[in-house]
Amino acid sequence: MSPLTVLWVLPLVGAAACLVAGRFGREAAKICALVFGAAFFGAALTITILTGGAGSVSAAGAPLAFGVSYLLSADGLSLSLILLTAFLNLICVAASWKQDASAGYWAAFLALASALTGVFLARDLFLFYIFWEATLIPMFFIIGLWGSDNRRHAAVKFFLFTFAGSVLMLLALIALVVAKHSQTGVWTWDLAALKEAPVGAAGPWIFLGLLLGFGVKIPVVPLHTWLPDAHTEAPAAGSVMLAGVMLKMGLYGLIRVALPLFPAYAASWAPWLAGLAALNAVYGALCAMAQTDLKRLIAYSSIAHLGFCLLGVVSGAPQGVAGGALQMINHGITTGALFLLVGFLYERAHKRGLSDFGALAGRAPRMAFFFGFSILASIGLPGLNGFVGEFMCLSGIAHSPIPLLNLPVFAVAGAVGVTLAAAYALPAYQAVFWAPEGPDSVSSHVPDLDLREKSILWTLCALMLWIGLSPASWIALIEPSVRGIYR
Amino acid sequence: MRPSDIPVEAWLLFAAPIAAILFGFFVLRPRKPEWTHLPILLSCAIVTACSFALAARVYTGHSFDVNIWRWAAAGKWAVDFGLRVDGPGVAVLAMVSLVGSLIHVYAAGYMKGDAGFSRFFLVFHLFFLAMIGLLTANNYVQLYLFWELVGVASYLLVGFWYHKESARKAALKAFMTNRVGDFGFLLALLYILTYFKVGHFNLIYLQVAYAQQQGVLPEALPVIGLLLIWAACAKSAQFPLYFWLPDAMEGPTPTSALMHAATMVTAGVFLLVRSWPLIAVTPWLPPLVAGIGAFTAVFAAVIAATKKDLKRILAYSTVSHLGIMMLALGLGQIGLAVFHLVVHGFFKAVLFLCAGNVGHAIHQPTANVDDVGGWRKALPWTYACFLIAALSLSGVWPFAGFFSKDAILDAAWQYGGWIKWVSLPIAFGSAFYIFRMLLLTFHGSRPEQAGLKKHPHEAEPILVVPVFFIALGAALAGLLAPGIERLVLYGWRGLPLGLPGVAGVLNLPGSPAVPALSFHDLFGRGGLMALFGFLAAYYLTMVDAGWDWRWRRNSPALEAVFESDFGWKIVVARFVDGVAAFARFVGRVLDKKWWDGLIEGSADASRGVSASLAGYASGRLNDYLWWMAAGAALLIGRALR
Repeated sequence: MSPLTVLWVLPLVGAAACLVAGRFGREAAKICALVFGAAFFGAALTITILTGGAGSVSAAGAPLAFGVSYLLSADGLSLSLILLTAFLNLICVAASWKQDASAGYWAAFLALASALTGVFLARDLFLFYIFWEATLIPMFFIIGLWGSDNRRHAAVKFFLFTFAGSVLMLLALIALVVAKHSQTGVWTWDLAALKEAPVGAAGPWIFLGLLLGFGVKIPVVPLHTWLPDAHTEAPAAGSVMLAGVMLKMGLYGLIRVALPLFPAYAASWAPWLAGLAALNAVYGALCAMAQTDLKRLIAYSSIAHLGFCLLGVVSGAPQGVAGGALQMINHGITTGALFLLVGFLYERAHKRGLSDFGALAGRAPRMAFFFGFSILASIGLPGLNGFVGEFMCLSGIAHSPIPLLNLPVFAVAGAVGVTLAAAYALPAYQAVFWAPEGPDSVSSHVPDLDLREKSILWTLCALMLWIGLSPASWIALIEPSVRGIYR
Repeated sequence: MRPSDIPVEAWLLFAAPIAAILFGFFVLRPRKPEWTHLPILLSCAIVTACSFALAARVYTGHSFDVNIWRWAAAGKWAVDFGLRVDGPGVAVLAMVSLVGSLIHVYAAGYMKGDAGFSRFFLVFHLFFLAMIGLLTANNYVQLYLFWELVGVASYLLVGFWYHKESARKAALKAFMTNRVGDFGFLLALLYILTYFKVGHFNLIYLQVAYAQQQGVLPEALPVIGLLLIWAACAKSAQFPLYFWLPDAMEGPTPTSALMHAATMVTAGVFLLVRSWPLIAVTPWLPPLVAGIGAFTAVFAAVIAATKKDLKRILAYSTVSHLGIMMLALGLGQIGLAVFHLVVHGFFKAVLFLCAGNVGHAIHQPTANVDDVGGWRKALPWTYACFLIAALSLSGVWPFAGFFSKDAILDAAWQYGGWIKWVSLPIAFGSAFYIFRMLLLTFHGSRPEQAGLKKHPHEAEPILVVPVFFIALGAALAGLLAPGIERLVLYGWRGLPLGLPGVAGVLNLPGSPAVPALSFHDLFGRGGLMALFGFLAAYYLTMVDAGWDWRWRRNSPALEAVFESDFGWKIVVARFVDGVAAFARFVGRVLDKKWWDGLIEGSADASRGVSASLAGYASGRLNDYLWWMAAGAALLIGRALR
């Protein structure tokens, strides 16, 4: 079995093992999840180190019917996202350790990790679609079964929205394959082969279908309304995976599929895409300013951050595309940390409103430290990871080779987004950690972080600092694989 | 020069504070929080020694600029981080490290017993470290990094006593205003990297000089200059973005001293010094800088004269003096701007620490003119230090302020035009507000004041000795004038700027040549205005002693005008409220109620429709597959047609 097959099968086996172990009790399932999570992360790390990220490892099987074949490949972009998946999966297991969840909970996370890995590995579009849809099922259950009060509604909304997006994507893919067949007479779903021949008049429609499919996932305003509900109602670890990895599927699809397949449209539609991206950055920040629930606030901040990523990716400049890709990783780490912290708060006090706390800096100084650190990373303090990505994306748009994109309006909108980030993040921080406790405050129910929680957050914060101070090695991992997308 | 050739004192400049902060955070804070200041004070001593060693190095012609590591790169785009030790940098660095270290010593006494002692020292030192980094950065991206770090540290320090609502508000105001300024810096940065393909000061100077020689300047240069000026206006508290600084005195007094004297507000002026070769080539930018500076200097001096809170008077005085530095820059007097920055650092640190001692005497973080009066005898050392600093500030010969401030005002006089006439009210106003404050605090007391009833006491030695040493600097720094001028110019010239036809930065257009300082002119005019200022202050506090209270009583409307800074604070508050209301509209109405409501509503509607179509949903997989196939075929058919 090819090492890449191992990579996605391993967590799937882990999921099955969890379910089996669940028969011997919840503890056994939990330990099983930890062991497989660690093994998965180890495997991902090993493959990344062995290939140096740059070398493309592939696994290929003989074509099946209609040109569908089992094609996997991993370059720096895929591997970095798989590493992120494996890392966050492990973090999620560690963070939910005290939750008395059934075996299904742990299995769902491993199954999700497996499907996500498949998405990032697949180079056959049919396979890509299968994995893409497969991610929905575990996440649907994570939200719907283990979420908070309004979980059913949020789960259904999440499923319908994203499913509608993926149906559009599927139709676009089918149309693409059929169009290719009518031009060349060959059935193929192979991404590399599909790049070659022209598509003809259906091109714009196919591109639009792909954009809509990926746009729901990113999410691009106005297709975003599933996100705040899903993030808010999901359990903390679910929000981490949702924001940390699943949102990245949209951008990944854009970078891997839509833009390379249609470089001409990518360039000619770029001003519109950049406009939407800039709208995301500003609109997300404005909405975040108006929130009174910590989780909703972070969810809207994700919309803003993904706007920066999109701005970088569509800019077509090397630093923009690489920065957009790096910002996906950064956002996974930083927002992951923030969702975990809100989760720890919720675990303790069963509240997450901005006005439900107060004076926590005195009661839980460690939590205040990590929250402050992550908030600063999130609003793009230079020296931490968020700045690197934002700065490279904006630099890309300011320096874009695509006509119209280097108009100041995009960079200015981005800079407005950067400015507004402080306007939602810091007042929220002050309300929870600095302001005195109100009459209904639940701060007294919040003991400080324990060793397990502290270790998880140190790991995340160390990564934020590392990427912030020395992003060059991370960019070197990603950049070669995104270099060619506009050629 | 390679990184391995960097002298050890330059490394220590960073290694010592980082080590002290890490040791304090990880080792001392959990175990012995009351010892946190010890490694930090040691680090201060090391940093001071190192920065003087570096100053000596630059003074003898050994400035350097070297890249150390590649921070980020993609394609042809790359950003390197490194160290630049040159004239303007070390001139400010030497003052910052000396004054900053003495303020650290003062803080060790002032903050003793505070519950947040160790947190205070760690952030305080981070503030200091950020400023060191800012002064030794060799490119714009790195400068921006430390610039933001300065902002965050100041946020944490201003909001240090976060249980107070005023402190929380002030911290947020300071950070947000600076963030609005950073909006300009960030955009400037993006366009600098776009047009110059590099962020290094040195290479940008060369490109500008070359372009100027060729007569083809990048079109974006005026915009970049304007954005940098905007950024400097926020950090260095210039109109229209000055309003955060007076509120920022909510932090503990050592914070105010460090922030006003050494680490924060000087950053904006320093940014413009670094960027001057870019700015000066656009003919209309230097007069703009001079105009902003002159306006702010007068505007803030007037408001300073009406304030009652001692630290607030000093805060407006800082705004005014930063305006004087900007004025100097606008006139092309870079050396004088840097020199005044240094001198101001000395006397303003003394004034703030003395205000701290005055508050300390009655166990308050800050004092009001009503609380004090006639304290000359009770606080003799504090009085002496304050007096020295006040004389220096108002530019009395031979105190340091004379050589810096009055030299700038004289440059303005020589420049002519309307700026000529601005120099007079600045000199008058500075002397007036500072002596009004001095006389109200230490002389008297007046019937309206409770000063002597409060039994003030002189502060303990740790709160007096460091202030005394800084006061020595405020008195004697004038002797440094030629040295600093030389250092600043040498620093520019020591690096490859000597392209044909471009002798040095000072001769770039926009910086008109100013005739040599005429001592008699200067002594006469500046001194005279300061004397008038002093006499006016003396008359209104000692002779007509109730004036300060009387005009407030008689014309509350006038006081409201001063209280709102001639209405500007109201304009700003309206703007902030407007943005917040817009965000609430977008977030709660547009996004939640209208758009999400529409989508959820359509789901409800479709539920009704689906109920009527439920017959087709047989629940049998085969049926569904047929539907799917039919739909897909339809769409494919359309796509192919």
